[in-house]
Amino acid sequence: MSPGRWAGRGNAAALLLVAALVWLAVYPLLFVGSEALRADIADFAAQRSEWSALWASLWISAASVALAAAVGVPLAFVFERYDFPGRRLLGSLVALPAVMPPLVGVIAFLFLYGESGFVARTVRAVLGGEASPWRLQGPAAILLVHGYSMYVYFYLFTRAGLAKLDASMLEAAASLGAGGWASVRRVTLPLLKPALVGAALLTFMTALASFSAPYVFGGGFRVMTTQIVATKLNGDLPMAMLETSALTVVALAGFALIRRTEGSRLVVSVGKGTPPALRVIADPVARRLAALAGWLLAVVLLLPHATLILVSLVPAGTWTTEAIPPRLSLTNYGALFSEAERLRPLLNSLWMAVVATLAALALAVAAGHLVVRRRVALRPAIEALLMLPWAVPGTVLAIALATLFSARSPWTLRWVLVGTLAILPVAYLIRSLPLTGRALLAGYRQLDPALEEAAQTLGAGRWKRMRRVTLPLLKPALAAGGALAFVTALGDFVTSILLYTYETRPISIEILSSLRLGDVGVAAACGGGRVLVSAVALGVGARAGR
Amino acid sequence: MSGEGRDVTAEAARGYLRIERLSKSYAGRRAVDALSLDVPRGEILALLGPSGSGKTTTLRLLAGFEPPDAGRVLVEGEDVTALAPAARRFGMVFQHYALFPHLDVGENVAFGLAVKGAAAARRVADVLAMVDLAGFERRRVSELSGGQQQRVALARSLAPEPRVLLLDEPLSNLDPALRERTRRELRDAIRRVGITTVFVTHEQEEAFDLGDRVAVIDAGRLEQVGTPDELYDRPASAFVATFVGRANDLPGRLLGGPEGSRAIVRPEAMRFAGVENGGLEGVVTARRFVGGHAYFTVRGAGGEDFEVFAPHRAVGVGERVRVAVERVLYWVEGGAG
Amino acid sequence: MAACAVGWLLRATATLQLCALLLAACSDGRTPLVIYSPHGRDLLTQFERRFEAAHPDVDVRWLDMGSQEVLERLRSERANPQADLWFGGPHTLFMRAARDSLLEATDPSGALFVSVYRTPAVIAYNAAAVPAAEAPRDWDDVLAPRWRGRVLIRDPMASGTMRSIFGMIVGRSIRTTGDTAAGFAWLRRLDGQTKEYVFNPALLTEKLVRQEGTVTLWELADLLTTMHKGRPLGFLFPASGTPVIDDAIAVVRGAGHADLARRFAAWVVSPELQLLAAREQFRLPARTDLPPESLPAWVREVEATLRPEPMDWELLEARGAEWMIYWDRQVRGTGRR
Repeated sequence: MSPGRWAGRGNAAALLLVAALVWLAVYPLLFVGSEALRADIADFAAQRSEWSALWASLWISAASVALAAAVGVPLAFVFERYDFPGRRLLGSLVALPAVMPPLVGVIAFLFLYGESGFVARTVRAVLGGEASPWRLQGPAAILLVHGYSMYVYFYLFTRAGLAKLDASMLEAAASLGAGGWASVRRVTLPLLKPALVGAALLTFMTALASFSAPYVFGGGFRVMTTQIVATKLNGDLPMAMLETSALTVVALAGFALIRRTEGSRLVVSVGKGTPPALRVIADPVARRLAALAGWLLAVVLLLPHATLILVSLVPAGTWTTEAIPPRLSLTNYGALFSEAERLRPLLNSLWMAVVATLAALALAVAAGHLVVRRRVALRPAIEALLMLPWAVPGTVLAIALATLFSARSPWTLRWVLVGTLAILPVAYLIRSLPLTGRALLAGYRQLDPALEEAAQTLGAGRWKRMRRVTLPLLKPALAAGGALAFVTALGDFVTSILLYTYETRPISIEILSSLRLGDVGVAAACGGGRVLVSAVALGVGARAGR
Repeated sequence: MSGEGRDVTAEAARGYLRIERLSKSYAGRRAVDALSLDVPRGEILALLGPSGSGKTTTLRLLAGFEPPDAGRVLVEGEDVTALAPAARRFGMVFQHYALFPHLDVGENVAFGLAVKGAAAARRVADVLAMVDLAGFERRRVSELSGGQQQRVALARSLAPEPRVLLLDEPLSNLDPALRERTRRELRDAIRRVGITTVFVTHEQEEAFDLGDRVAVIDAGRLEQVGTPDELYDRPASAFVATFVGRANDLPGRLLGGPEGSRAIVRPEAMRFAGVENGGLEGVVTARRFVGGHAYFTVRGAGGEDFEVFAPHRAVGVGERVRVAVERVLYWVEGGAG
Repeated sequence: MAACAVGWLLRATATLQLCALLLAACSDGRTPLVIYSPHGRDLLTQFERRFEAAHPDVDVRWLDMGSQEVLERLRSERANPQADLWFGGPHTLFMRAARDSLLEATDPSGALFVSVYRTPAVIAYNAAAVPAAEAPRDWDDVLAPRWRGRVLIRDPMASGTMRSIFGMIVGRSIRTTGDTAAGFAWLRRLDGQTKEYVFNPALLTEKLVRQEGTVTLWELADLLTTMHKGRPLGFLFPASGTPVIDDAIAVVRGAGHADLARRFAAWVVSPELQLLAAREQFRLPARTDLPPESLPAWVREVEATLRPEPMDWELLEARGAEWMIYWDRQVRGTGRR
């Protein structure tokens, strides 16, 4: 093989991958952008309501990041550094809000903290009084839901970062006279920076794209996602496209800004090092207090899940003004399993999520190989494209795909996918790319290239190397990225609602449909099923990743 | 193919493994510069050089991990330059062994075997026995000591019966205490198999002990190739003269050479002489014991430092001495640095 | 190991898809008739069974979604229509769809959509909290100080019923004053009374039942169905007249099974099915030629008490969007100031 051909093949593959990613992640957006140009931009710019919705989206997202960090980071420190009874179990339970289903999760919040929810009714029962003590509405309510469901990103990222931290660095800091707080501020936090930036990015993007919470709790308070829906409902499609583009621009700007603070990768720890030992709380009283506090926290964090289960056990219409439901039964689950029509969406969701996850993993492996192993010239482009879908809110992606793939024009790379089996898996695939991409790039970077070379000298061809060496060694990354992608696809609501068909209607649409018909119990039962499957998937991922 | 029309047996006689004017540059820097070597069948050749000299790159070019910019690699007269590593049938032992952590010892050794089942198991058992690890098949790689890992890596590379064995700093990852023993075992194992071997090292002792011949490389160029004795006694360049063994670099005029020239002299080719006998004048500034002898550091009249190898009581520190030079190892012509 | 895992995953996927297909395969060989409809599971399931019993070669597949959502979907699926029929939604939406060329001839006369039911808007209240005698009798009564902060309103941007009510208010204003200002002033006062705009009708009834609010504006069929399920609700027709929305059906342009869809549409407006819908699903038949004695009692009662508002649907369809944008930007949330 001549050197030219050698490099050429890697570059050709890279070009192919970049082309595929551009087609999947960029082309639809450009399409939305061109549609938006047909709207009256001056009218958009003149509307105070548009600007205030945009501003609301921004500050709600920023506040969500702050709130999620305030809860997630200290929690991660406590669970990673101190040992107390039940630490392991609690440590995983605390991550459960990540698998709260959209929409029905928000409904669970409503039943819990809403003005006629348990907490309000209990308070009213204790304190007396006619009116509800509070109303769950407006920005505060949105932030509450965001903080609850998004602190998990900070919690998980920080824990992972802390686990990789080298104890000798903290010891070095201590030997240089840095006290506890100083060493956290000057050593631990800077070293955690990549993890924290990653979590902030994820939280910001999720909050910006969040739809259910502002929709249910927003009231008159509009963010951009709800504004887009209102405009669409009013039939002003070009304006909706313009709003969509505005949201995307804000998202991309936020994305770029946060990525900039990540800076160089210099902070990657140099030594191999061992993580600091757990501090066992010696004093028996303190130990018990710590355990108690931990359990209380877990209970608070799991209350929405419990509410979901409780609601799923309430037969329709039997719960009116009581603090707790008067009657419980399994009828809702019966309805779920007795009708094939209702079970089908769960199966649909499962196969589509699996297909999308496998495809996203395959693309991520290809990207990892080209970026880390072959070090192709296009690697910055590949990395950026993999991360781009993070910056694109689900609604935007769905609108973009629906627009792009509703006409047949092979010369411009457009096919009719709307209304086919393929469109939802494709959408899930795009949304999963940042998750699998990040995991696999990190996995490849930790992989000793000599292992693949060793396999080469032992006569292993490309496929045998992939099958027997690379993939097994990437297993932790595959498991972690795959589990996240799977759960994301399973939980998707905003993209699905615009793209599903009879054959592909997913679980989230069944939940919505049940809600629309007033079957809150059945919706909750569906949601409960989804929580269970997701928790199992994440658990399997975490186990395989070890 | 360019081998056409040549006498294949004649090529094989010249070298079982032939490296012809191999070159490789990275970002304009020449890592390997027109390197040519012939390695007869069954020979162990050491590639010796300081770090960054291009010896590891040479090994990677031989293995096929990277394509050369120019030049050829031939085995038994067959041009393998364009072959992928997997098709070359070269075995390789990596610096950090690169054992597959997800496979056990037996699976690692069997990885490269074409046969399956009982035949594979037999071959694995044979190879493991050869490296003194009989019965280790089901052990996890992470349970092994460094020396054992090294032997598993050797067994794995030998199992598919490669034509050439490549070793990348095979001992650098071991405790110094363990190194000598492992070196012996490694040499015995390679000798038993009788395989043509190229190994890379930056340690002279290792190169001289393991290699039948040693190729000294600097800045991507081959400086000299020969037996350890040849390199030591008849260096072909100033670099080899100073890099191999200990040597003093003295201004040539002190030893009767032309102005600007330099003379390379081994410490053991110098001795303390009586004052009346001429030679170099100087003061002993330090002494370093080596068994019954010692290296004496002498500061000459011109301010130059050099070492003399002599019985340890020969002179004392601070003494004024005269030093006689018995043989100049290598003359560097005038004008050179 | 990973190869195993991947293989396992592939097999699992295949199995899952097979299951999904098997579940779908109950329709083997039958002609699928895909219906987008907001009418809800109860009505649709019943209709599906009936129609399939009469046409064993047809598989009725309905997808439950809001009527606005149906319109959205028809727009985005224009190039590859998935639905055969659109069943249910205010006829103003159907008018818009017809204007956008999304519909096909639905009855022999060539009409693009056909009215199936009539949906009167009503004032509804929680009967456990509000005695029937004290409930508001007319639109203006809802503005009484007594209901301040007790009114729940379904988000009007997403609701055809609410758009019709708001349209009626603005239409009356134009009729009496020649201008929309009085209408919006009225709506601003309503906004001042409103505790919350609820995003979803099911949640609206849930909140009404749980007494988060006690009065709402809603539509008859949904309310009767909810009351039938045992919820403590009451309703009355506003004395000054109320909009009666025609609920329609239409064949989707480019439908795969347009003839079958037309048959379904004709079947739905047949006297037999009109009566069935009235008796079991609380739908007010659009047909006025049904023998009164065959109608259930509630229909006769409704016909006796209902006072339809003469609506200018063309005007509403032409200017409704503009009015709603104005309301959304200038009226919503300003009533309490």
